[in-house]
Formats: sequence, structure tokens, C-alpha cells
Amino acid sequence: MNPLTLKKGKEIDLPSHVLDLTLGPDKKLYASCLDGGVYEVSTAFKIISDSYKEIARHDNFASGINWSASQNTLISAGYGGDLKWIDPKEKKETRSVKAHNFWSWQSRISPDGKLVATTTGQYLCGGYEYEPAPETEPSVKVFDVATGELRHSFPHIPPVQSVAFSNNGKLLAAGNLMGEVILWDLEQDGKEIARIKTPDFTGWGIIKGHYYTGGVFALHFAPDDKSLYLAGMGSTTDPAAGNGKQLWQNFTWHDGIKKSSSAVKGEIGEGLMETLAFHPSGKFFVMAGRIFKGDWNAALFDHESGSRLHHQNVGFRISASAFTPDGKTLFLAGGKNQGNPAEERKWGRIIIYKVVS
Amino acid sequence: MPASPPNCGSPDHNLHRRKFLQGLSAGAVSSMSWGGLFGAPAFAEIAKRKQKHCILLWLCGGPSQFETWDPKPGMSTGGPFKSIPTNVPGTHFSELLPKCASIADKLAIVRSMKTTAKEHTEGINLLQRGHSPRPPFTRPTIGSVLAQQLGQLESKIPNFILLDPCPEGNEFKGFKAGNWAGWLGADYSPVRVGGEFQIPDAHKLDSITEDDHEAREALRKFFSKKYENDRKSAAASSWNATFERVNGLMSCAHLFDLERIPQADRDRYGPGAFGQHALLARTLVEEGAPFVMVANGMPWDSHVFNHEIYQMVVPDLDNIIFQLTKDLEDRGMLEDTLVVAMGEFGRSPWINQARGRDHYPNAWSLAMAGGGVQGGALVGATDKYGAEVTEDPFNEENLFATIFSALGIDPHSEFDIPGFPTFHHVENKAAPISQILS
Repeated sequence: MNPLTLKKGKEIDLPSHVLDLTLGPDKKLYASCLDGGVYEVSTAFKIISDSYKEIARHDNFASGINWSASQNTLISAGYGGDLKWIDPKEKKETRSVKAHNFWSWQSRISPDGKLVATTTGQYLCGGYEYEPAPETEPSVKVFDVATGELRHSFPHIPPVQSVAFSNNGKLLAAGNLMGEVILWDLEQDGKEIARIKTPDFTGWGIIKGHYYTGGVFALHFAPDDKSLYLAGMGSTTDPAAGNGKQLWQNFTWHDGIKKSSSAVKGEIGEGLMETLAFHPSGKFFVMAGRIFKGDWNAALFDHESGSRLHHQNVGFRISASAFTPDGKTLFLAGGKNQGNPAEERKWGRIIIYKVVS
Repeated sequence: MPASPPNCGSPDHNLHRRKFLQGLSAGAVSSMSWGGLFGAPAFAEIAKRKQKHCILLWLCGGPSQFETWDPKPGMSTGGPFKSIPTNVPGTHFSELLPKCASIADKLAIVRSMKTTAKEHTEGINLLQRGHSPRPPFTRPTIGSVLAQQLGQLESKIPNFILLDPCPEGNEFKGFKAGNWAGWLGADYSPVRVGGEFQIPDAHKLDSITEDDHEAREALRKFFSKKYENDRKSAAASSWNATFERVNGLMSCAHLFDLERIPQADRDRYGPGAFGQHALLARTLVEEGAPFVMVANGMPWDSHVFNHEIYQMVVPDLDNIIFQLTKDLEDRGMLEDTLVVAMGEFGRSPWINQARGRDHYPNAWSLAMAGGGVQGGALVGATDKYGAEVTEDPFNEENLFATIFSALGIDPHSEFDIPGFPTFHHVENKAAPISQILS
């Protein structure tokens, strides 16, 4: 078997840092960006004009974009705490729901496309050492995609930065700044079934100042839904450096909470990992983010052994990733430095890779 | 010499020498002739100055002007936080400062600070000393100068208190270990309290009577002074100054105990270390401390996740400035207490790859309240991106001239440092920011 590699294809510029992306209808790609724009992105190789077209706009950062094939709608989320339903064909907003009073940190659609989950929470000082204060609104909400109605509200300790549905759509998991992940069973009316607590993703800033940083930035259920992957950055004492380990860990919960595997020390550098996505084969996954120290910020890992299969430095910070359903293409999205604002430079980036094995 | 006018026989004239000296600022005594003390204008000026206090909320690391006093909502540099109106028509703050927005008429905001230092050590020195280095001379920090100018001779409460519960702080840690008082000497270096820096062994042993304690102290003082004079030793002088301050701390150690402060007050300032120490600063000023600096490491240095960190630290600051200002006003102390909230520079308009903001001295903001400044004043402006100052640029010398002027100190007066070149409290005759002086 040939070694697994990524072959770089097209690099697409967008107006600002890409916070999320999804594959929509007709193999089209959609991106939500820091400037509030939601864009349809052309992945064609031969183009003359811009590679993107704005289809909706939030009045704040657009943090999430999701595609529901069953309901034939895109749903974006923003730092205004709002969700927007967008008709991809008409390229117009069809519904808006105020989900939170603070940011929507992350949003995800259920595998059947019927539910959309979003997380929120402002980190406010709650103790002498700047422990987060309790939430002032439910930190996790689940809405009905067809009607826009609220289906579930779950409490958590804010800020809750990541959320994931299980592959069978029955479970929901959400992780926060303090490395606490709660799992709920949606078929049992949202009953809490497990609570994973790990100190490994959270740092307390004794170097620069007293507060917590890091947290669980990405969650993904394993293909068999028997374990859950957490991704982020290892503990650091210098919040301003972002120099914790590039970290993923895998937990099971059926016989008590157990860490079943994690990134291997010699295979990781330093920097915050923001995204984790599984290849459709279920055999490996990509984890990507920012490089502080080391030689990669995007790597492929074997699900069974946990070993690193391929790694590379993409050249800019990655916030989102997605494989095509056929597994032949990987999209990595994020951004470079903004640069002098007067130059109005396009600093968002999406890179298209061919997955070669 | 003209004869002194006969006094009226009132016991008020029987001024005890010690009490009289306590009423004079240390700096004034060191720089005036004895006869000059009796000049009515000078005495009045000194008497007025001695009632002044200053609290410096030191936002080390360099706070972002965009998420505080100079928001740019809707611009590519603006970030996710909007702006909100304040109770001063036309003035907007970041939405992270709703409490300060409600007392904007008591705050003076400068949006046009333009300095040169781009790195922390350089910036901290510049904004703590008010001037770039001139080796081999070490200019004293603002706290040391104010301790000398506003402090009381033989005061039992330290004239310069640094409250900083964070023992670390990268470059700030290095600065903290350095020479704060410069050419003013150890008398004017800070007493550091907070976090792991408690005042140890500051209580007299029960086995020693008060008379015994005083007798021992008198004897120690006699021999120490004799040794210092005989040897002409700067080290001995510094040691004696330190001992004097520790000795003074024995009588005021209880003032540094957060637990003595009513819980309701502690709740109002928020549970975080910065808020608790800002409250402590207020109580110390109430007890007569002329200068208290409150810091908390370098939390404002947001190279990574600027917005994610500022969602927490700015609301904390918002509440602290609000509570401090209201408390001082309620106690009738705001007119005589200058509160300054600033760091060593601002933060970049652009977002870096780590979604942080980097150091930016070209255009940044600060806030003041209280004694000597005009509430509601808004000075200077930046361009639409917040990248350049477009109106009334001010540097560290203008700022220091403003602080000194607000506290009744002539910014252009000379330091009394025999054997040194001529140094002024503010060099180059830099003008204060007159628009915010009341």
C-alpha cells in the first residue's frame, strides 16, 4: 500500500479568515468568514473572476455554515448569536432565529439534516483565579431545521466552544474552555449520559496573567460512535504565546470515562488545533490548526493506531476542514495575517488537496 | 528679617513639629529652604498637594483600544464587539464597557496616544518613567516620583504601594525586579503586596511590651544612623530606609488584609484578583496612601485570541473602574484622587494569524478619572481603521505632564539631586494635555 499523502491543488482567496466551511448541493462549497459574509465558493480550476460570491451576511463574525440535504437549506451562525436559513439556489436568507445573547461559537447539523446545534457562552470572571462564571442562558441549543423551533436546551459551563452529533444522530456532545465535555442522549429527551473532564486542553496563564485559555475546539465521534475525539491545544502557562501541544485525545464512556488513545508525543508540535474531520472511509482523520513550533499544522492520523500518517505545514492557520463524500478531496480553510487594513487585502484562504494513497 | 506676627494664643498654633512635618510632602522638604516653608503661597500649595492621591490601574501587556475606548464597529479592524453610546452625547465606548459608559461624564479619555516603544520592556519603562533611557542615570518611575512629591514624612503607610498578585509576567516580571526608584533612592521604591507577596512577620511578639519595643527601636535607629553617617555608606542608607519601611508596615499590616473589607464591597468589585486588589487600593488611599499601583501580570498582551480573552478581561476592568470611581465619589475623595487606567501601548488594528492583536504604539487610548481632570472630556481621534492618530497626538511626556499637573506638581520643576545633571520631572517642557485638565 502506498503511503497516504495530500497533493495540493487550488488555493482560493476570500475576503477574511474562514471560520467554517461545508459542502452543499451539487458539490458546491460554502464558507463563513470573519467579516460576517457567507460565501459560495467555486472550486473550479479555470476561472477568470473571483472564486466566491456572497449569499448572506451576518452583522458580526459568521462562525458556522451547515448544509441540510434533507431540508435543502444552508444554516449559518454568527457572533451575533443568530442562525440564518439560506436558500442556496436563490442565494437569499429565508429565516433568522435569535439563538443566543452572545456568540454562536460553533454550530453543527445532525447527519439526517433535521437538527442544528449551536453553542454559546461568554467567559466572565467567576472567581479569584478567573474561573468562568456560571452561564446566564443555556449554553447549548438544538433547533428544528424544518421549523426553526427550539427542540433542546442544555446547561453547561461557558464558554462552550465545540459541539458534535454522533454519526447515528442519537447523541450530542459539547465541550468547553475548561475541558469538560457533556454527552446527551437525544432519543431519551436529552438525558445526560456522560461527562468527560480533562485538564489537558486548558491552560491557566501564570506567565502573563491570570485567566484560562484553550479548551476543546473540535469534537468528532468515531465512526462506530463508541468513542469521542477531542481536539485543541495542550495546557500552556503563557496564553499570549499559544504554545501548548497540538493535541487530540479519544475517550470512551460506556464503562466509565476512559482515555483510549491520544496524539503521540514525538509526532506533534505546538499550536492550537481547531478542526478535526474524519475521512469517509472511517480509517483516518485530519486534525489541523495553527503551528507555533514544529513542522506541521495539518496532519492525517490513523483511527485504529493513533499514529500519524501524513503531515505538512499548510502555511496559514486552519480553522475548518472537510472531505468530499468520495474521500478523494480535502478542503482546509482559515486565513493568513490580515495585514494593513487600508490595503483591504483578501486574507481568507481555502486550499483544495487531493487525497492520494 | 521681618518679625513674625504675634499669634492669637489659639492652641492651633502650638503645632507639634512631628505633626507639622507629617503634613509636608517629602519632596517639598528636600527641595525647599526651611525659611521658604513659611511662605504662605508655598505652604498652601504643599498643604493642598499633600491631600492628593493617585491610583494607577496598570494594564500591563498593552490593552486594545478597539475593545475599550476607541471602538471601530463595522470596520475590518473593529472585531466582533459593537460600540455603545455613553452618557456623554457623541461619545461611544466598546459594548464591553457598559458601566463605564454610564459614568462617562466622570471619565477623561485620550484616544490619541502616540509613542515609539514597540516591545514590552521598552514600553513599560517609557510609560512608567515618562522618558526614554539616558544611561547611566535611572529615572524614577511615576510611582516613586509621586511617593516623593505627595508622600508624608514618617508616614506609617507606605508612600508607594504596588499591588500585583501575579508573581510572573514575562517582561513585566523583569521590570518588577529592577530599579523602580532610580535616582530618588530606596526610600521611594514600592512596597509590593498581593498574591504570594504578603507582609510576613509584621506583628509584634506578645512577649515584648510596647515600651520594650519602642526602646529597642530607638536603640536600633541610633546605631544604624551612626553607622550610616560614620561610613557614609549608600548600602547602609538603603538598608535603613528599607528597615524603616518594614517597621512602618508593622503598624499598618492589617490594612493589607482583604479579609477585613466588608464582603458586600468585595462582591461589588468582582471575585477576580484584579478587582479585589483595586478595592484594596481604594481602602489604602482612604487610609492616606498617596500612590497605589494595581497590576495583575500581563493579561492584556493578546497575541492569541484577542477577542476571546477580551470578552473576559474588559468586563472585569469595566466594573473595576465603575466601582472605584463611584466609591471615591461617594466618599468625597474623587476630587483629590486621580485614577489612571493605561498600559505601555495599544494593540494593532489588524488581526494576526493567531486571531490576536499585536503591539501597537502608533495610536492608542487611555482613561483617567477624578482629581484634576475634567470628566466627560474626550481628546484626540484616530482614522476610520484606528491605525493612525488624526487629531492631537500626545506622547509619554505630555501624559506625565498631565498627571503631574492634575496632582498639583509643576511638571517642569527640577529634581533635587545634587551631583547629577539637571533633570526635570518632565523634560523638553512638554505640555500637559490641557483639554482634560480641570
